[in-house]
Amino acid sequence: MPITILPPKAFREPPRNLHHDSDDVMSDASSDSEDSDSQPGGVSLDSGETIHPRKRRSAATTSGSTFTKRPKTANITSSISVPRSAIVTPGERITTDPQWMRGHGTYLSSATLGEQAITSSLAGIVTRTNKLLSVRPLRARYTPEVGDLVVGRIVEVQAKRWRVDVGSTQLAALPLSAINLPGGILRKRTETDELQIRTFFAEGDLVVAEVQQLFQDGGAVLHTRSLKYGKLRNGVFMAVSGTGGGSGVVRSRRQVWTLESANNGGPIDVILGVNGYVWISKHVDPVIPEEAKNQQTGITNLEEVVSATMYSSQNDRIEPETMREIARIRGVVTALVENGLRVDEDMVTKGYNEAVEMALVSEGGPEDVYLGGERGEQLAAALTGRLA
Amino acid sequence: MPLDTSAYSLALLRVDGRRWNELRRIHAQIRTQAAADGSSYLEMGHTKVMCVVNGPSEPGPRRGGVATGGGGGGGGGQSKNAEVAVNIVIAGFSSVDRKRRGRGDKQVFELQSTISQALAASLHTHLFPHSTINISLHVLSQDGSLLAALINAATLACVDAGIPMTDYVAACTAGSTSTYAANDEGADPLLDMNHQEEQELPGLTVATLGDSDRVAVLVCESRVQVSRLEGMLAVGVDGCKQVREILDRVVREKGIKMIQEGTVERGVGLNDMELD
Amino acid sequence: MPREAEPSANEKAFLLKALQDEQIRLDGREFDAYRPLELTFGDEYGVANVSLGKTKILAKASAEVTVPFADRPLDGIFTIATELSPMTAPHFEVNRPTETEVLLSRLLEKTVRRSGALDTESLCLVAGQKCWSVRVDVHVLSHDGNLTDAACFAVVAALRHFRKPDTSMENGVLTVYTPAEREPVPLGWLHSPFCVTWSFFGDEGETALLDADWMEEQVRVASVTISLNRHGEICQIAKLGGVPVEAVALLQCTSVALTKVKEFSTYLDSKLAEDAKRRDKGGFMAELRAENDRVVG
Repeated sequence: MPITILPPKAFREPPRNLHHDSDDVMSDASSDSEDSDSQPGGVSLDSGETIHPRKRRSAATTSGSTFTKRPKTANITSSISVPRSAIVTPGERITTDPQWMRGHGTYLSSATLGEQAITSSLAGIVTRTNKLLSVRPLRARYTPEVGDLVVGRIVEVQAKRWRVDVGSTQLAALPLSAINLPGGILRKRTETDELQIRTFFAEGDLVVAEVQQLFQDGGAVLHTRSLKYGKLRNGVFMAVSGTGGGSGVVRSRRQVWTLESANNGGPIDVILGVNGYVWISKHVDPVIPEEAKNQQTGITNLEEVVSATMYSSQNDRIEPETMREIARIRGVVTALVENGLRVDEDMVTKGYNEAVEMALVSEGGPEDVYLGGERGEQLAAALTGRLA
Repeated sequence: MPLDTSAYSLALLRVDGRRWNELRRIHAQIRTQAAADGSSYLEMGHTKVMCVVNGPSEPGPRRGGVATGGGGGGGGGQSKNAEVAVNIVIAGFSSVDRKRRGRGDKQVFELQSTISQALAASLHTHLFPHSTINISLHVLSQDGSLLAALINAATLACVDAGIPMTDYVAACTAGSTSTYAANDEGADPLLDMNHQEEQELPGLTVATLGDSDRVAVLVCESRVQVSRLEGMLAVGVDGCKQVREILDRVVREKGIKMIQEGTVERGVGLNDMELD
Repeated sequence: MPREAEPSANEKAFLLKALQDEQIRLDGREFDAYRPLELTFGDEYGVANVSLGKTKILAKASAEVTVPFADRPLDGIFTIATELSPMTAPHFEVNRPTETEVLLSRLLEKTVRRSGALDTESLCLVAGQKCWSVRVDVHVLSHDGNLTDAACFAVVAALRHFRKPDTSMENGVLTVYTPAEREPVPLGWLHSPFCVTWSFFGDEGETALLDADWMEEQVRVASVTISLNRHGEICQIAKLGGVPVEAVALLQCTSVALTKVKEFSTYLDSKLAEDAKRRDKGGFMAELRAENDRVVG
């Protein structure tokens, strides 16, 4: 029984999507779905006029006032024209060529609809590695990979392991066997350790760890078997989006570094977890007691001494100057994310220096750490100007 | 307030001046909430809904028996598929009569269950074992086609959250100008009913998967001749395809904007695919 | 909450393989065949006992005089209450409606109440002051799939069978007569809607079955419940999510459903007639007539 309807009058085709037109260039002005409050009819089907990108762009630029408040970043980059085909959306066929292999973000459409096609299951961009086609989402939750440095939060303590929230689709596991036990790296795990599991990490503690291996279903197993990893204290936590897609923390050469802050703030540690969780804290040198210093300090001995303070949850005294600079770095990271810029060592360092200079000329003086709203946009503009 | 149906047969115009096959204005945005994994805002005429998606994420240890929000599509807990939990809040001011809906409202429960099951069939839930996808919907204003607007908003928010899916689930309503008693052959199908039309005329809500004719949701709550069904369904399915294009355009424009702003690097264009 | 045990992976695979490759159902039925449907009426008016295979449902209609709702002074009150107790299956609990129960009661509500099967205006006694409140209690005694169709049939049968006490208004005095004084009267009934549920199987829902049993219900990927009356009027369609199904297939399902509904309708009519005859023979009227026919011997 085929579906047919007899229209009572001529049926006007609605403006069909033009995404097969590769040279249909979308200008910045026509893609402002957020600004359509000022431009009525962002998407309208009721009129016969299809959307002409060029026509709407000229209308937008002559009216002018719409875009004066926008951050400069958009204006700098808006000269790049992006064809509509740069983006694939769910259900869009990528290729029917059988020589390609399908990767993440794609699936094989069913054979009943003709030949099998590699089809996108995400809104994102197509990437290819040799013969493997995958779609990187515009934004998604963090997907763990072996070797990633992540910041996580303990949410559950089980008999022999912890469950850690790392912003992924599943909780990560941190086995008791994968942490440095106090008293030396070579110590064997005992039943006493299992009973005292909460003395190492309890619910709500923050940890920095590395992804050691992945389960078949995508779950991650972490480890903290290095002096770089372990419990976090003396600082602030913030969650931005991770490497799943979109802006936020990107995988880079260094995820952890110490920044020499201005205004007598002293050294500050910044940990950019690949999962988008960021930790900014006062840098504390490992305390080595006098008697230990006098002894012949081998590396195992040092481990032993350091591990005594390793699982402390007590914050050290932090000077107000240091706190202020920590807050300033936090503001820089927030401004970067809000303005859609990537978060890595280079950007944070440059952004911090810029923020210090901005504070000097502001009314509040060097103590002014506010970087929201227009100040953040100003910061982002200065950074993109410099980097471009 | 009886609807003056005589006007339609004279001018072929509906109460709000549309023709039989015209949608109302659909306006949509994605990424409206920075804190959520995915979010959307959708207007179909005067029906306005917001959606926030959180997840897929694994719920931590349950404290004090937290009741799950609504229909669980595909079972939760330790299953091998992600659970799709939908929660709908209908604002008291959203309709004219300021009706307060309690927690146990069966109609809301049915809506939640429908949306959950419709999306669970399209989302690739098998990729996220033990996880839950929490979809929270807020109805700000109601003017007909509520279920359709909720499904569309939820789909958009899931796309924004980067959850893999087979295709968009797009929905719209269709009606018929004849009342159930009148068996006139001349009755026209109508696309996208507003509140007034929903009160007076028979209609149904259809949701289809992507560009196909495959119906994910079909809900008809009014009495209508069986011969009317085919016409209404055909118009509804066609309307869903139009809605899909609109939703797709919203997503594309957002993506292109992100590339322009440099948030996302450009990938391999589809046109480069055939080169080697 | 105790969860129902899902069928094992092996059982599921067996059922689906038989269904899709061999076109055979586990109980050997045709794809569009119902299990034997049986209806018995109780001794009282308004009690219907329906069994569909191993699914058993009892519906009881009752009526009492109450005050109508303030916003609908000219209408009587009509409610359908569903009860899925632990007796049906261990995972149903008392006082906590499960998804199955809520969806079942919504479907009955839409099929019978919202489609106007019962003339609620005829339940009004004194405008704004007194009206009949008709209530149907649906008890699921045994659950072996396809509750919806069986429950809907039971509700309609119970209401059609039900007789409410006769009343009269004289000089502003409302009198309700006992069955001994006056023969009770049937409800104002407009049309009889029946539900027909299709279950879909396969990746794209290409296999459609009528009247799935419990095992099939747990394995199905989608379902659609179509409510019709024998005049070919749709009262309700509900495909609440699930795997998408071709629109054309849904239309075919509807037309098959219509023939099934006509069969239901005929069956119910014959059962009602049978029951009326049975009551007539030894009933109150026969007693009266027996007096007139008495032959002095």
